[in-house]
Amino acid sequence: MLETINLSKTFKDKKAVDDVNLYVNKGESVGLLGPNGAGKSTTISMISSLLKPTSGDVLFNGNSIIKNPAEIRRVLGVVPQEIALYEELSAHENLNFFGEIYKISKGDLESRIQEVLEMVGLQHRQKELIKTFSGGMKRRINIAAALLHQPKVLILDEPTVGIDPQSRNHILETVRKLNEQYETSILYTSHYMEEVEQLCDRVYIMDHGSIVASGNKSELLSILSNDDTFHVQLSKRSEKLIDAVRLIKDVRQVDETENGLRIIAKKRSHFLSTLVHGAEKEGVEIIHFQMEIPSLEDVFLHLTGKSLRD
Amino acid sequence: MLAVFKAQLKKDVRKPVTIIVFMVVSILATLIFGNSTFGKPPTVPVFSTEPNGKEIEEKWIHLLKDSEALNFVLTEEEGALEDVASGKSSVAIKLMENDYRIITASNNSIVPFVEQEIHTIFSEEAQLQAVVGEEDTTKIRKVVESYLENPPLQAEVKSVSGGEIPKHDMGTQLLFVFTLFAAMFTIGFKVNGINEDKVNGIWNRLILSPVTKTNMYVGHLLYSFCIGFFQISVVLLLFQYVLKFELGDLRLIMMVAAIYTLSIVSLAMLISGFLRTPEKFNMVFTSFIPMIPVVSGLYMPPGTVSNPILLFIADLFPLKHAAEAMLNITLYNASWNDISLTVAILLLIFVIYMGIGINLVERRRG
Ligand SMILES: Nc1ncnc2c1ncn2[C@@H]1O[C@H](COP(=O)(O)OP(=O)(O)OP(=O)(O)O)[C@@H](O)[C@H]1O
Ligand SMILES: [Mg+2]
Repeated sequence: MLETINLSKTFKDKKAVDDVNLYVNKGESVGLLGPNGAGKSTTISMISSLLKPTSGDVLFNGNSIIKNPAEIRRVLGVVPQEIALYEELSAHENLNFFGEIYKISKGDLESRIQEVLEMVGLQHRQKELIKTFSGGMKRRINIAAALLHQPKVLILDEPTVGIDPQSRNHILETVRKLNEQYETSILYTSHYMEEVEQLCDRVYIMDHGSIVASGNKSELLSILSNDDTFHVQLSKRSEKLIDAVRLIKDVRQVDETENGLRIIAKKRSHFLSTLVHGAEKEGVEIIHFQMEIPSLEDVFLHLTGKSLRD
Repeated sequence: MLAVFKAQLKKDVRKPVTIIVFMVVSILATLIFGNSTFGKPPTVPVFSTEPNGKEIEEKWIHLLKDSEALNFVLTEEEGALEDVASGKSSVAIKLMENDYRIITASNNSIVPFVEQEIHTIFSEEAQLQAVVGEEDTTKIRKVVESYLENPPLQAEVKSVSGGEIPKHDMGTQLLFVFTLFAAMFTIGFKVNGINEDKVNGIWNRLILSPVTKTNMYVGHLLYSFCIGFFQISVVLLLFQYVLKFELGDLRLIMMVAAIYTLSIVSLAMLISGFLRTPEKFNMVFTSFIPMIPVVSGLYMPPGTVSNPILLFIADLFPLKHAAEAMLNITLYNASWNDISLTVAILLLIFVIYMGIGINLVERRRG
């Protein structure tokens, strides 16, 4: 539904976005992940028709939005990275203003305002001025303002940066609800891997202006390595068991740990039954068995050489 | 457009302090400077240190008192010198038998004026003295004066419109200058709302909405115009009806005020075109605007500034044109026809600055 084709943007002689190809299907929730200065906001600005690309194109339902931005603007909601609200006005007055510029009819506007306020959980504070709100509450109103016209495509630029856990959960819930109940297509930018993991069907990882990896979670994790790591806690030490495990096909490495073993084996290897039988034979009880789960954070580190939050 | 306008209005209704401050300031400044310093003639202390000082003082103060433009008062030498040193008076006069000395702490603009005034008085006396020799000049002075009441050759100076020339009133001039000047700030800060919206992302939200760009600008600029015109109107109405200043044809003055406000909106837009951020705008605007009335010589009687470069610069800004037109309406009863050239200049400024300003602003974003 929405896709970019070799999208590039150069500021003076700095390449902020370099040949980016990404797409968002109808009803899909897609994450765009990258460290500071990766080019996320610049990409989003071009996708939302606010910034002209240096080269490349953005297609919405197959039509270039650069030539004709009207079609996408009608169905697009953008939550900017900054708080784009009038601080001196109340939450309600702000929403009223943004509703009016979207030409929502007088009759519908009030119910729409209450609806989005409820969605972000701030109905009870709607009369208060934005400048008296906490950072988290401002961000929630910032999102609410983009929902008034019921967009079919919602682009969020780091909507949870630097806020309290309560507001953050609220925001994640809201986005999930929009995606699941209203089938809103989501493009979600973040520094936080866990959010994207929770919310998104697919993820693009961006660094230095380019997409360095993409896919769903397991696809991304598979980048990390061909091996899985297991931790086995045993009732007692057994030399024979260790030797037995070492002989299993696909097991690459066995190390002794404080109370058991660490086994590194090829993905999808079938060593479990051999391990269990071996332990039975040696009279060793398996107390605990755990696979070490690599996080997308590890993938990210692997790809970009830096952690997400620096 | 209406939504944009209303949002700006709501912001100001919530926080009207700035506008009220500027209104109060323009009224206070007029009352303080317009009345005391310029309304009344400045005071000039005079004294003599000659052995027959009393006699000399007596003789001259009598003649000096006739001056309408300056208020000469007799003092002790010490008091006079102190006043000059402390800046209470700009000049003091030391009297001698047939001569005088001007004492001043700085080369103030009033010095040549005092010099001219006192020189006239002294040379008049010297002429009469030359006629009558050693005798007292009182009698001959009376004769000359009564003769001059009905001179054989009478030249009458009339104003262009045929009426008598009213005395130029510095107080009225300052009233208009301060009122128009204070409005520049209000208007500038409101136009800067566009830059603020751009920085905080609200402008982008507007661009994504069905509101057209023209309407976005018109909403903002129309609001700036209305609030600026509102400020000027309130201040002028207060002067006319509460403080009982005689402003003359208020409808015509308001018309000039409206066109002036338009041209200031344009000027602010032009400055926005050169400066990227609202902070820069505020900084440059607040440091640059106060120079306009100074450069235009609007704090001084007309004709004081004669430097062609300064005159040219003054012509580029609406303040001088509007103040002149309003002054002409109040003092000389000027009609719409009399001020139409000035109005045309203001409108020209409005169109040109707005055109350049919007182009610069839009080009930068492209
Ligand atoms: N208007 C601009 N002029 C010049 N350079 C710019 C401009 N906007 C962005 N850049 C540069 O482009 C690069 C990408 O910026 P962008 O804001 O897209 O990154 P980001 O991924 O959104 O970062 P963050 O996580 O900090 O928001 C940065 O190096 C930035 O300095
Ligand atoms: Mg960003």
